[in-house]
Amino acid sequence: MGKVLMKGNEAIGEAAIRAGCLNYFAYPITPQSEVAEYLARRMPEVGGVFLQGESEVAVSYMIFGAAACGERIFTTSSSPGISLMSEGISYISGAQCPAVFVNIMRGGPGLGGILPSQADYLQSTKGGGHGDYKLLVMAPASVQEAVEMVMRAFPLAEKYRNPVMILGDGLIGQMMEPVEFPDHLKVEPSNKNEWATNGMDTRKSKTRNLVKTMYLNPEELNAHNLKLKAKYEQMAREEILYENYNLDGKYKVLIVSYGTMSRVCRTAIDNLKANGLEVGMVRPQHVFPFPHQAINQAASKKSCQAVLSVEMCMGQMVEDVERSVLGKRPVHWYGKCGGEVPTPEEVMEEVERLLS
Amino acid sequence: MDERPVEINLSGIVIIVGNYGSGKTEVSINLAVHRKRHGIDVRIADLDLVNPYFRTREAKDSLSKLGIDVVLPPQEYLQADLPILSPLVAGMIRRPSELTLLDVGGNDVGATVLATLEDVFQDKSVTMLQIVNPLRPFTDTVEGCLRIRGEIEKAAKLAVNGIIGNANLIDETSPDDISSGYEFVQTLSGESGLPLEFITVPRELLSAIDLNRFECPVLPIDRQLVPPWQKAKEFG
Repeated sequence: MGKVLMKGNEAIGEAAIRAGCLNYFAYPITPQSEVAEYLARRMPEVGGVFLQGESEVAVSYMIFGAAACGERIFTTSSSPGISLMSEGISYISGAQCPAVFVNIMRGGPGLGGILPSQADYLQSTKGGGHGDYKLLVMAPASVQEAVEMVMRAFPLAEKYRNPVMILGDGLIGQMMEPVEFPDHLKVEPSNKNEWATNGMDTRKSKTRNLVKTMYLNPEELNAHNLKLKAKYEQMAREEILYENYNLDGKYKVLIVSYGTMSRVCRTAIDNLKANGLEVGMVRPQHVFPFPHQAINQAASKKSCQAVLSVEMCMGQMVEDVERSVLGKRPVHWYGKCGGEVPTPEEVMEEVERLLS
Repeated sequence: MDERPVEINLSGIVIIVGNYGSGKTEVSINLAVHRKRHGIDVRIADLDLVNPYFRTREAKDSLSKLGIDVVLPPQEYLQADLPILSPLVAGMIRRPSELTLLDVGGNDVGATVLATLEDVFQDKSVTMLQIVNPLRPFTDTVEGCLRIRGEIEKAAKLAVNGIIGNANLIDETSPDDISSGYEFVQTLSGESGLPLEFITVPRELLSAIDLNRFECPVLPIDRQLVPPWQKAKEFG
């Protein structure tokens, strides 16, 4: 199959189908609604199910139910909707069920606006719901990368028996780019018979599987949390993913940026290079686990005078960047949060201001 | 002698419809500029009530500079995803300029707005053109295009009168995509009985393509709806 021109939201829907996910429960919200629109049409064609819940809270528990049965399942929403789903996400994490959530972020807080934003970074990487849980969080910068991440998200969710979040901003959902789809995945969750409530007859077993989040015995709950913690530590060892840009030369400033914001930064870096100023960038592709070490290393380069976290929000990832740099270089933040995406010129000005 | 009808000769009320992402807005903007440069008075209305980003309103300033009148929803609702139809639209249809272009939202859902203007369209001659990009999902077959045409006509309570071929992969469009896209819309034109009004070609590809092989006019596209890390092209 050759390339097709797709809107990010449509491509995310198609990628899920090709990842073998035939269950999609969702509730529409701008700027993500095209996923639901696309799959309302496509799911029946491939023998799948699209079910619109009565609210995002309901959807999150419908996902829990399907995931507990060992079904490959996903949903998509945008910021306020993800807030509503956060309770369910906490339960799904606690119950160790695999599921994929896509957040096409819009500006907040509250209803905010419908334009692109990255203001849910802390929500996705540090919690959102209650309890000690973590999500594996992927942050695509192009429609093609969104497709690849969605297709990888399902096997990873199953590997860790944990929800995976795809954190895209409104532009990822709304922009159109040529995409090429990898072959269909043919991965069955290999261990689901060990834990899923998929029926004793189905798995030809005489033992009952129980999916639960309640552990009234404090020792049991502590042991359960230690088990979860071990999974997050394994993620931190095995799932770090980032891309370096222009790190070979003697860059004076290191930018850290993710998602479509990083593409604005790329243009800024290219323009600055043409003006004789070298700037490098580390782009986290997974924002949890975060590439602390790679950023620390890049910031440690002799020529590097400062680190700049560029985000479409009021400075959230900058906290992780500070934890990476560990005081070796001054860390700054630049960004906007209202739906306006900083322009390459604005990023260039900020870099020049830092050095002046 | 070149017998190809090189020039697009559209005037009156022209409505651009098509499936989501078929290129209605990009083509409407470029068509507006193209006709304006041929000395025709052009007004363009953004009737996209379903799409939250990348709408005609993004190009308002560059169009206004060229003397093209852009009719938009009231300023305070410009960034809302609310179905707001400016009362100015009915007025511009009642008193059309030499070319009145209506850029409508995607699919039948986007075209529903036209049915609300039914009374205003009465006794007016209207050309409704369906844009087709065969490199998009759902319009990669003739059946798919005809299905969308039917859905749009039903929702709009108006008939499609012609086709615009807009085969493209944005920045990655190749001369081959243009050729196969042209053949596709030729077939569609044959099977639907609808004339092929024109096809589009990104301006940067014009020199790589033998335009004489096309039996329809060609609209060069200077891309305006770009992501924030790119610059809109200057109108050629």
